[in-house]
Amino acid sequence: MRYRKNGVNILVFFGLAILLLFFLSPIIWNVLTSFKDRGEYFTYPPVFISSTFSFEYYQHGLAIGGAKGIQDSLIITLSTTAISVILGSLAAYSIARFRIGGDNFAFWILSIRMLPPVASLLPLFLFFRFLRLLDTYEALILTYSIINLPFVVWLMKGFFEELPKELEEAALVDGCSRLGAFTRIALPLVSPGLVATALFCFMFSWNEFIFALILGRSRVVPVTVNIAGMIGGHEILWAEISAVATLASVPIILLAFVLQRFLVRGLTLGAVKG
Amino acid sequence: MSMKGKRERYLPLFFVLPTVIIILIISIFPLIYSFWLSLCEWEIGIGADRVFVGLRNYARLLTDSRFLNSLMNTGRVLFFGVGAQFALGLGVALLLNRSFRGKNLVSTLFLLPMMVSPVVVGCIWRIIYHYRYGPLNYMLNMAGLSSVNWLGSTDMAIYSIILADIWEWTPFMMIVLLAGLQAIPDELYEAARVDGANRWQIFTYMLVPLLRPVMIIVILIRIMDTFKIFDLVFLITFGGPGQASETVSFYNYLTGFRHFSMGYASSMAYFQLAIIVIIANIFLRVWRRREEA
Repeated sequence: MRYRKNGVNILVFFGLAILLLFFLSPIIWNVLTSFKDRGEYFTYPPVFISSTFSFEYYQHGLAIGGAKGIQDSLIITLSTTAISVILGSLAAYSIARFRIGGDNFAFWILSIRMLPPVASLLPLFLFFRFLRLLDTYEALILTYSIINLPFVVWLMKGFFEELPKELEEAALVDGCSRLGAFTRIALPLVSPGLVATALFCFMFSWNEFIFALILGRSRVVPVTVNIAGMIGGHEILWAEISAVATLASVPIILLAFVLQRFLVRGLTLGAVKG
Repeated sequence: MSMKGKRERYLPLFFVLPTVIIILIISIFPLIYSFWLSLCEWEIGIGADRVFVGLRNYARLLTDSRFLNSLMNTGRVLFFGVGAQFALGLGVALLLNRSFRGKNLVSTLFLLPMMVSPVVVGCIWRIIYHYRYGPLNYMLNMAGLSSVNWLGSTDMAIYSIILADIWEWTPFMMIVLLAGLQAIPDELYEAARVDGANRWQIFTYMLVPLLRPVMIIVILIRIMDTFKIFDLVFLITFGGPGQASETVSFYNYLTGFRHFSMGYASSMAYFQLAIIVIIANIFLRVWRRREEA
């Protein structure tokens, strides 16, 4: 009678199978819907597997804004990720090595997570309106970088602190500059952590909705806003919505598999080391 | 001091500076500015000027039945949603807390609901909940039950959102609790078994106390995020039917960006922030006490 068993008995197997079905079937249903013909997604009994199974609604979904949405999301997400990872890891290195104001950081991070979106959205909206930057890439890139930065600093600080100081000290003794020690010794050594952090930034910016909804409008329409917009019309184009939603989920699902090892740490802001 | 020495000394400062400036912009400027706004009346929709009204917005909140309704709904999501996520997440974590082939794959598959965008989650559930053509009612009918008006009934709508929220966020509870469980060394299980503890005793006297810090953190994070629940409400019901399924952050959005009452929206955000800060302080106090004990 062991609590942590090796292997799976039949009861646990069925329990996991049923739970997995519950958590996966909505996603599978969405993918199946994306291949359905008109009339197939609104029938009773519901059609499970489309008889036509064409990519027609992918094409149409991309044509009515999906492609533009994915393009906008890519531009915003990649720029944001680059900015926040570069600035954030510089700051994290300083905090980890020279203890600049590092002790209050936990509270900063937590308080930003507490902030209701409207509390920061409203001033930002008025700020960008004043600068005539509403509905531009710059507004969203800047906003997402601001939101991501504390998170990047916090995660990267943890990774730098795990690195033994002696390696950089040896480089300094050998005549390397501090900047050199950072770029040539510390940075390459934390690169797995750096990649994980970058992927988290990517995930956040790619999935974000409310800031994109308010700060974008007609010229800048990230894919989340685009999908939500397709629901508002007279006739809801379910096949198109499902198709674009499926496309928008592909990068994230790939990330989930790459990130596995770092997920817990990233999601709990380092409070629990996975 | 040499030129190089001077540069070296200030380098850490240059590293931190950009981030500090940006963080100041996000946390200090909006906080002060929106607090100031919460004391004003400012209807930018009709082009009115900003008027200082003191605490009147806060007084209005307490008598606004629509706000109180949204607060109740947020409370329902907290109680039923976060509660179920915790129970279910702990269950799945306990099931997964053993070694078997393909475990990593299975855990990652469990995580997909929280990885895909909340907007996608909202769309998916809106199809599933469709009264006549949705797969959920179809399955109920197959089981001999009558269809449920998931989105059209004022009593049901908020619970439909809660069910989607449970689906989306149980994986988060699961993965964090699983990490906590796996940090418990095998020797402790061995020792408990040698002492003759049964499964239930191992769970209540060993696992629960050891997991408590992780449990507190993960529930706190979910509570803070639940106050921000917006995407699912926006996509699944848009607060409807009527105002039946509005949550605080959704009503807050409507006030600020549909009615353009900037002052009132700010006071609502501040009210929300105050509640969150109080809850977080209680949780962190309990957490610290445990750490010290």
